[in-house]
Amino acid sequence: MHISPDLLFTIADFPITNTVVTTLITDIILIILVLIVGKSVALKPGKVQNIIEAISDFFRKTTENIDEKRASFIYPWVLSFFLFIVISNLVPQVPGFESIRFYTFFSGHHGVALFRAATSDLNLTLALAVTSVVATHCLSIKQTGIKSYVMRFITFKMFPVFLFVGILEFVNEFPKFISFSFRLFGNIFAGENVIATMYSLCPLVLPLPFIGLELMIAIIQAIVFAMLTMTSMHIMTDKHTK
Amino acid sequence: MEIIQKFGLETKLFLFQLINFFIIVLILKNFLFKPLKRILDERKRKIEQSLQDVENAKVVLESASEERKKIIANAKVDADKLMMSIKTSADEVKEKTLVEAKSRSQQIIEEAKNKASIEFENMSRQIGKISVDISSKILSKVLSELFSEEEKQKLMSRALEKIDEKITN
Repeated sequence: MHISPDLLFTIADFPITNTVVTTLITDIILIILVLIVGKSVALKPGKVQNIIEAISDFFRKTTENIDEKRASFIYPWVLSFFLFIVISNLVPQVPGFESIRFYTFFSGHHGVALFRAATSDLNLTLALAVTSVVATHCLSIKQTGIKSYVMRFITFKMFPVFLFVGILEFVNEFPKFISFSFRLFGNIFAGENVIATMYSLCPLVLPLPFIGLELMIAIIQAIVFAMLTMTSMHIMTDKHTK
Repeated sequence: MEIIQKFGLETKLFLFQLINFFIIVLILKNFLFKPLKRILDERKRKIEQSLQDVENAKVVLESASEERKKIIANAKVDADKLMMSIKTSADEVKEKTLVEAKSRSQQIIEEAKNKASIEFENMSRQIGKISVDISSKILSKVLSELFSEEEKQKLMSRALEKIDEKITN
């Protein structure tokens, strides 16, 4: 399996890769979920609404425990990250999902996998990381004001100690792109590879425990990403008092 | 650059994923979280309302219980008062009845005594008359043989006078 996603075809010079297809499937699942729950939302919930409510309630309460004042701003982002990542991670766990081949002009006689876990594409994980960091900073400006936001990084109190700390904090924001994106990408890509290896060794029984493990990792990674975003948003939306 | 190419990073794909996720966030926020939050808030409000109603019902129940206790206590006091007044009036009635009965019996006795004395007088008078008649008859019978008509009349009248005197005395 390549680190980069496989190109299937191009539309007006736009490359359609197997991860783009899975991303679109994830979008469709989420839209169906929105249509099912959003349209028929009721005081007495149905099965799907119950599950979504339980997830939503878990993240809302967790956010409220960390930051009660700004929970209403933070938790929609956190829940969005969780739902998108968890579905992206779980979709490829459907047995046989990645064994469907697509034959193109460039793929040779083996073809390429039509679907691949969307989060095993660094483009997506980096996009999620950028969204998370940018949204955090936007929320910080909205909640604390531009002055407090700038003061977090540039301050002349106790010169040059806090100025140095501020610069460190500013620099510290950049590794977040890498840590957020590579953590998710690495875990899912590694999982995909492990399962592919197990399938090649003994396709009948051997992959089963690893699929179970992957299911767990899929959920855990989604929670980790959501929680890190939540914590980061809480820290950045807190008024700077230094 | 080589590493970036190895990881398959491409500006177009990156922008596509960025925009795609942003759109998904907007869709989720507007069409899923908002109605969900609305319904959760409504449910919370209903639960709070129900709890408030329960609290109110509890208060009402407590006050009703207090009221009941008060009413029972008042009723007890009233009943005691009533019992006391009934007892008092019963005693009064009893006393009154006793006095009335006593006076009535006294009166009856008096009346009976009077009647008896009148009856006795009447009887005595009648007996006197009868005895006078019998005596006169006996005397006339006895005297007709011993005395003359004139002496007989005199004796008889004197005897009758005496008998009369005796009776009247």
